Amino acid sequence: MVAPRLSALGNCSRLARGFHALRSYATSSSSVNPTEVSHFNALASTWWDPHGSSRLLHLMNPLRHDFISSCHALKPHSTSQEGLRYLDIGCGGGIFAESAARLPNTATVTAIDPSMGVIEVAKQHARKDPILQEPGRLEYLNKAIEDLEVPQLPKEQYDVVSLFEVVEHISTPAVFLTSCLPFVKPGGWLILSTIARTWTSWLTTKVVAEDVMGLVPRGTHDWSKYINEHQLRAFFEAQDGWGANGGMKVLGCVYVPGIGWRMVAGGERWGNYFFGIRRDP
Amino acid sequence: MRARVPYSASRAKFHPLWTCHARQPHTRYATAAPLRPEIYDVVCVGGGPAGLTLLTAIRSTPATSKLKLALIESQDLTPARTWKLPSDQYANRASSITPKSEAFLSQIGVWPLIDPTRLQPYHHMRVWDGLDSSSQISFSSPSSPIATMAENSNLQQALLQRLEELAPFSTFDSTKVASIEDGPSPSSEDSLDLSSYPSLTLSSGEKILARLLVGADGLNSPVRTYAGIPTRGWDYERHGVVATVKYLERNNHHGDNKSVIAYQRFLPSGPIALLAMPGNYATLVWTTTPSKAAKLKTLAQEDLVALVNAAFRLDNVDLEYMSRLDGGHTEELNWRSRVAGVEEDEARIPRWVDSVQQGSVASFPLRYRQTDTYVSSRIALVGDAAHTVHPLAGQGLNMGLADVQSLVNTIEYTVKHGGDIGDEMYLDRYNREMWMQNNRMLGVTDKLHKLYGIGWGPVVGIRSLGLKMVDQLGPVKGWLMKQAGGIGT
Ligand SMILES: Cc1cc2nc3c(=O)[nH]c(=O)nc-3n(C[C@H](O)[C@H](O)[C@H](O)COP(=O)(O)OP(=O)(O)OC[C@H]3O[C@@H](n4cnc5c(N)ncnc54)[C@H](O)[C@@H]3O)c2cc1C
Repeated sequence: MVAPRLSALGNCSRLARGFHALRSYATSSSSVNPTEVSHFNALASTWWDPHGSSRLLHLMNPLRHDFISSCHALKPHSTSQEGLRYLDIGCGGGIFAESAARLPNTATVTAIDPSMGVIEVAKQHARKDPILQEPGRLEYLNKAIEDLEVPQLPKEQYDVVSLFEVVEHISTPAVFLTSCLPFVKPGGWLILSTIARTWTSWLTTKVVAEDVMGLVPRGTHDWSKYINEHQLRAFFEAQDGWGANGGMKVLGCVYVPGIGWRMVAGGERWGNYFFGIRRDP
Repeated sequence: MRARVPYSASRAKFHPLWTCHARQPHTRYATAAPLRPEIYDVVCVGGGPAGLTLLTAIRSTPATSKLKLALIESQDLTPARTWKLPSDQYANRASSITPKSEAFLSQIGVWPLIDPTRLQPYHHMRVWDGLDSSSQISFSSPSSPIATMAENSNLQQALLQRLEELAPFSTFDSTKVASIEDGPSPSSEDSLDLSSYPSLTLSSGEKILARLLVGADGLNSPVRTYAGIPTRGWDYERHGVVATVKYLERNNHHGDNKSVIAYQRFLPSGPIALLAMPGNYATLVWTTTPSKAAKLKTLAQEDLVALVNAAFRLDNVDLEYMSRLDGGHTEELNWRSRVAGVEEDEARIPRWVDSVQQGSVASFPLRYRQTDTYVSSRIALVGDAAHTVHPLAGQGLNMGLADVQSLVNTIEYTVKHGGDIGDEMYLDRYNREMWMQNNRMLGVTDKLHKLYGIGWGPVVGIRSLGLKMVDQLGPVKGWLMKQAGGIGT
């Protein structure tokens, strides 16, 4: 019984990132209440602390790139000449956004989060790296996706739109996902990671993390919001122009103490997983 | 995983020599024209085998080949570039390069540039107990060599040559690191913040900044001191005496590489080893007490030759007696070996040493050191800066090369995943991979040293029984040999 406990840990830290995104997406970005702000501020100071509460997210980050690369390997990219355009939705302190911006084949990264505090943390941290200061490489916006102007031309759209550890905190994921879709360039990918709604995840996130170990405040997780892979699949199958010709990929991942995060085929059925879907060219 | 020393606190208080001025006002930066010091991706302090290999490996790896690099070395590198010795002379500092190290050096394009006429592979090892000569253990590896002897200068020259083939980088040689402190505080609330970047002041007065600062700066590593990483260990009260020796010429012998043997005998004061160099030459490494080492260095050439020959032939009691003499060792040895009836058999003991190369006798104090961690934020330690091992297993340099290989893999992984190469969380991959592995090697060599430092009856009996058993136990022997050849783990 190692796995449940592991994903409990993975999840509670993962949560740190999704928490503030929670209601802002569901309602409006100005409705953040004071308890959330202070809870978040406590998190913000340790966002980039290698031993802080976001440690597991930091450790997971390389796998996100591995997953994106594996999606690109399925369908070789045509626009990579000028470099890839990334949109990171719910960017938090910028763990993924910074790393994407440093990659040699990246043209630009736009990273958004509705919480003012995290965007501030992200901007402060990006000051530490001259590469990230290069004009156009990395831009943080304190916005929810609904506040972002919907691009009309493919060159304004993105090759990669990422939603890491976000959808499980959204009350109306279908509405939310629908508003993300127009940002993906034809031939580009929507990439997300989340956690499945299973007995294992209920046990690890609700019972172990919240009740038994008290790692996160009670009620932080709303298990009923967790989304299973087949639900995502059904959502995209209902969309026109997505995932044709094998343009879809799912892969589970699990955190093993002492070893780190590992991709596990089939892991999407009981814990954390990545989901990638391509917009038909 | 070991607990880390609190970073800033320890930096400030650890060693006054390498100060941390982060919290003092940076008037220099504020008043003078704000000309920012050059920022390098990797600054390597130390151009020994570990440091040069690091730069070569970074340049030879496609993903990391474009990183901006700087090397700081206190010595002048010109003599190392132009190093040349006639074929009847060998440098006294030679190391046995394991097949694993050789494979790595080949992979980064260095091995083909090493002067092959000055390399000596060996396929056999003879190891025995100084107090019980009957318990000899022999290792053989018929197909591939156990290891290859190479002069450190030969390796260093090949590394420098290889680096010249690759993209240029900044070399500050004949330059010392004068001080290391935290980088400048940002000039305004939203300007670039380099305060976490180590800032080095060179003896030339120049200042440079490092995204990742690598300490390949040997035993007394200034980088390690700056990082406040404690190192633990002890001095062995032993010195390693090294020299280049020449064997007596042999009649009608066909030099066959496959028959070359490395010899090591464990005397109570430490092991003595003869490691073959090409032709009739060999490198002597004799570990002994500081007073005996001092004595060996003052002996007349022929007396030293006699003592070396005695050390592989006579009982410890006779040897102890001989080493107290101030001269006349040759006659003493002739007499004693005749009485003892030493049987000359090259398969068991080395041939007679004939001479010692002029000026090649030198000695080094031996130490055991392991740092608590090899990494901290924007810092990595490699080679002797990270650990120092007893030379009895001939692993010091090889461990440094393995560190470099692992660190460069880590840097490559970081670059490929968009990380900051100075990020401790990525650097930790290197630490996790190498710390335990090195600790095991350090422990084994230390225990061997201690075990063989005992001259007490029962222990000698047990350990020679051990050697005999090992010799008969194929798998155990195979494992030991793999360790010696670095192909284990
Ligand atoms: C007697 C003896 C025999 C040995 N035999 C073997 C063997 O058979 N096989 C083996 O594998 N190993 C052997 N070793 C060990 C091996 O020699 C060392 O492990 C190896 O040289 C370490 O390499 P390094 O690059 O880490 O450090 P070093 O070779 O010590 O290089 C450090 C470099 O840093 C430079 N430096 C230091 N401080 C500063 C500063 N402030 N600014 C600028 N530059 C600085 C120094 O000038 C030096 O060039 C032996 C060692 C001894 C003593």
